[in-house]
Amino acid sequence: MILEPIDKNEALRYLGCKDGTDNEQMLAMLDSCEKELLKAASPKYLYAVYPISFTDDGVKIADSNIILKGSSAAAHLKNCDRIVLMCATLGQGVDVLLRRLQVSDMASAVIVDSLAGAAIEQICNRAETEIFEKVHSNSRTWRYSPGYGDLPLDIQFDLLTLLQAQKRIGLTVMNSNMMVPTKSVTAFIGLSEGEVDRSTRGCESCNMKDRCKFRKSGGHCGN
Amino acid sequence: MEIKTLLEQRGLLIFDGAMGTQLQAKGLKTGETPELLNLTAKDLLKEIHRSYIDAGADIISANTFGANSYKLSHSGKSVDEIITAGIVNCKEAIKESDKDVLCALDIGPIGQLLEPTGSLKFEEAYDIFKEEIVAGYKAGADVVLFETMTDLYELKAAILAAKENSDLPIICSMTFEENGRTFTGCPAEAEILLCEGLGVSAVGVNCSLGPKELMPIITTLCEKSKIPVIVMPNAGLPDPATGEYSIDAEEFSEYAVEIAKLGAGIIGGCCGTTPEFIRRTADKVKGRKYEPKSIERVCTICSGTNVVEVSQPRIIGERINPTGKKLFKQALINDDIDYILGQAIEQVNAGADILDVNVGLPDIDEKAMMIKAVKSIQGVTNVPLQIDSTIPEVLEAALRVYNGKPMVNSVNGEEESLKNVLPLVKKYGAAVVGLTLDKDGIPPKAEQRVAIAEKIIKRCEEIGIPKEDIAIDCLTLTASAEQLAVNETLKAVRAVKERFGVRTVLGVSNISFGLPNRELLNHIFLTMALENGLDLPIINPNVAAMTGAVRAFKLLKAIDVNSVEYIAAYGSDTPTAVAKPKSSDVTLEYAIDNGLKADAAKITEQLLIDTDPMVIINERLIPALDKTGTLFEQGKIFLPQLILSAGVAQSCFDVIKAHLAKNNSETVSKGKIVLATVKGDVHDIGKNIVKVLLENYGYTVIDLGKDVEYQAVVDAAKKHEVKLVGLSALMTTTLKSMEETIKLIHDNGLTCKVVVGGAVLTPEYAEKIGADFYAKDAKETVDIAKKVIG
Repeated sequence: MILEPIDKNEALRYLGCKDGTDNEQMLAMLDSCEKELLKAASPKYLYAVYPISFTDDGVKIADSNIILKGSSAAAHLKNCDRIVLMCATLGQGVDVLLRRLQVSDMASAVIVDSLAGAAIEQICNRAETEIFEKVHSNSRTWRYSPGYGDLPLDIQFDLLTLLQAQKRIGLTVMNSNMMVPTKSVTAFIGLSEGEVDRSTRGCESCNMKDRCKFRKSGGHCGN
Repeated sequence: MEIKTLLEQRGLLIFDGAMGTQLQAKGLKTGETPELLNLTAKDLLKEIHRSYIDAGADIISANTFGANSYKLSHSGKSVDEIITAGIVNCKEAIKESDKDVLCALDIGPIGQLLEPTGSLKFEEAYDIFKEEIVAGYKAGADVVLFETMTDLYELKAAILAAKENSDLPIICSMTFEENGRTFTGCPAEAEILLCEGLGVSAVGVNCSLGPKELMPIITTLCEKSKIPVIVMPNAGLPDPATGEYSIDAEEFSEYAVEIAKLGAGIIGGCCGTTPEFIRRTADKVKGRKYEPKSIERVCTICSGTNVVEVSQPRIIGERINPTGKKLFKQALINDDIDYILGQAIEQVNAGADILDVNVGLPDIDEKAMMIKAVKSIQGVTNVPLQIDSTIPEVLEAALRVYNGKPMVNSVNGEEESLKNVLPLVKKYGAAVVGLTLDKDGIPPKAEQRVAIAEKIIKRCEEIGIPKEDIAIDCLTLTASAEQLAVNETLKAVRAVKERFGVRTVLGVSNISFGLPNRELLNHIFLTMALENGLDLPIINPNVAAMTGAVRAFKLLKAIDVNSVEYIAAYGSDTPTAVAKPKSSDVTLEYAIDNGLKADAAKITEQLLIDTDPMVIINERLIPALDKTGTLFEQGKIFLPQLILSAGVAQSCFDVIKAHLAKNNSETVSKGKIVLATVKGDVHDIGKNIVKVLLENYGYTVIDLGKDVEYQAVVDAAKKHEVKLVGLSALMTTTLKSMEETIKLIHDNGLTCKVVVGGAVLTPEYAEKIGADFYAKDAKETVDIAKKVIG
């Protein structure tokens, strides 16, 4: 899979530069870092659709023993009868590149790190586009990830096992629930034949809301 | 029984097909642990095994693929229990069939990525595999099968565990993507080199793709491997929405015929294949005469992702070696691994194909440092390494943790050396450099050196090290001391190459020792040596003339066909046009503001002529850095710019350090600070930014890296008597580790202060877990360091 040009303004925003920059040196570095990142990345994603049911503990994924515990996943998936479970990664090459740059050129490392953050979002968006060309529903929720609200991060292990993520795209999770390769995402989207409430997206459901640097400066991350 | 013997006796062997696919067809839920069925559904498993035996399989795999301690950790069952049951089921099915079928202990990846990308240590991976091997061996498995592997490093841990804890034949199979590489970037050739070197019985590919898509990989395997090739494709490609595979049993078996013709020795199936696939395949190819291709290979070594064939001159970078380098020695004493990594990256960027790694220094634990250096270097570059030590114990430690097939530097003609080094080279499947000296030293005449080379080659062959893995070093003597010896060296190089057909290696730079304009002599001697048959010059690749000589030689000898490499190296020599003022107008402050490293270094050199280093640091560098720091706080510049400025200051500091080292003065340091990214956390970019900034304010940072044990932080804080410890964590789940680390610091009665930072931290939380300070960014950490240390 080839990455599209990376949204540099998004990367700049991650770097704390919300209005873009006209600094020539920075722009030149962004360009060269993008080239390096595109060379190092081998983006992959993977998804599957599962029926769900609602239990006292949370949302149960059919044909498995996995329960999305807590109230926030249940609220997010209200009115849904299925979910699309997906995961995506930029691959290990990006981790190698980041390690190398952190030794030889820290400024570039920081820029590549931000560009990679923007890139994995783009890959998720692309996956979503493909998914909804193939999977039909009347309405759907936005992408929801472990760690949001009261959905525990340790569900990541079960979700990635269910998707056979290691075997199929080389994505694993550490005991500390950190994914490796590090530039990776796990998420699910609720599907409904009725209507879903999409209004809940925003800072209130985010577990970073008390320490978010975007909120501190009066903005938000855009999700 | 050895696989090769079996192939000679029975002809082409058939492996079984998918287990998971069969279990799911019988009602196993997705995401459940299939190995638990070994205890609860014995009959079902025996029935599946039996159906593959009846289909014609010569080897069947027990249901033990994921039976490792990590994957079973939530199951309440032990590895021994599950594996024993799996092997017993398999053996019983074989016994009931009354056929001569072998039972394979089937072992897949652990499920966690190894260091450096993941946190699982090589040694831990070894122990996990060892537990599986011990259980399977005891239960009576006939063969060990490692399959669906994607990381060569993990595979190496697995093979070592199997070899050191059983005497069973080992079969290895990796999973490749359509680009010919695994997820970790490993090509099939690297798999072959590792497996052959470690004495594996068969090597190959399984899963991920169907037989059609795998043909290029299978062709490579059959054309490059000296050991039998195993192939177990999927039943084509799965439909992403339905999960159904694209080809049927008949089509699969037709591909099997093609695969057999290519020279493969063992054929089976992976995901989506059924007993019917195996039956049709067996009907067509089972027992067919095994006809592997005959393989000729020149010396080839590899890292986990990069194969280097010494079929033409290859540059070995010599800079990772403390001999005669004060800064390097200082770095070793301070455990400053980043210094070594910087040397590695610089040489690779300059054109090194292989890096020599020598960290021998009397005052340090060379073995521990060698392990750390090898692991770290292979995390940031992909060139193969040459392990350089005079101590066999150090060599062995490095050979174990090396990812791929390395070169060992070196063995010599002395009995003691041959006896100690060659068994290690053989065991770990490395290539080796043989020095043409013995107990009487370096003989003066070429013929005498050739005789020692002959002895070394003979001894290698006796112990089973193939000739292709030998490189002979005829030794460069210093021209200023032994002018006539120069020609003897060149004569010996030519003779060794022509007579024995082995590779040749020379440390080039020694030629000019004690003479002026060393670069000129090195350069000319290198060219002369290349013309006499030198394959592996050990040089400083950062000197443009040296790397250039090799590139030019390759072009002029028509090795670099169509001058491709030469043009790639020099064709785009157009300077990037960034508007900047005339050099004479650039001040230190301007250079720091604008990221001009080279200018800043030059200015610092000039200042040092008549200015005290501490004055430069305190009155020029730090105020300039403070200014960019303030601009950063005000949001007028952003993070990369702040770091760029810091990088410029770093280059000034490097100049000052080199100046002080030259004058044997005390080093400049405002004090030591320990930094660590806490246990369980591998995202350490934030900590590394802090490190860069602290160093540029003159602090010495003891960087413990990422995923750091609690005790390691305490030990470092004690050892270096630091006043400040900095801890970072990225995730809510690893904040617990931060708390534990702080608690242990306090429990040990250390008086140092602790500063914490990281994306999910808040000042309130920092206080709650007992930290003395919370830093919101790198700049604030510097302010805190100033407060605590001064």
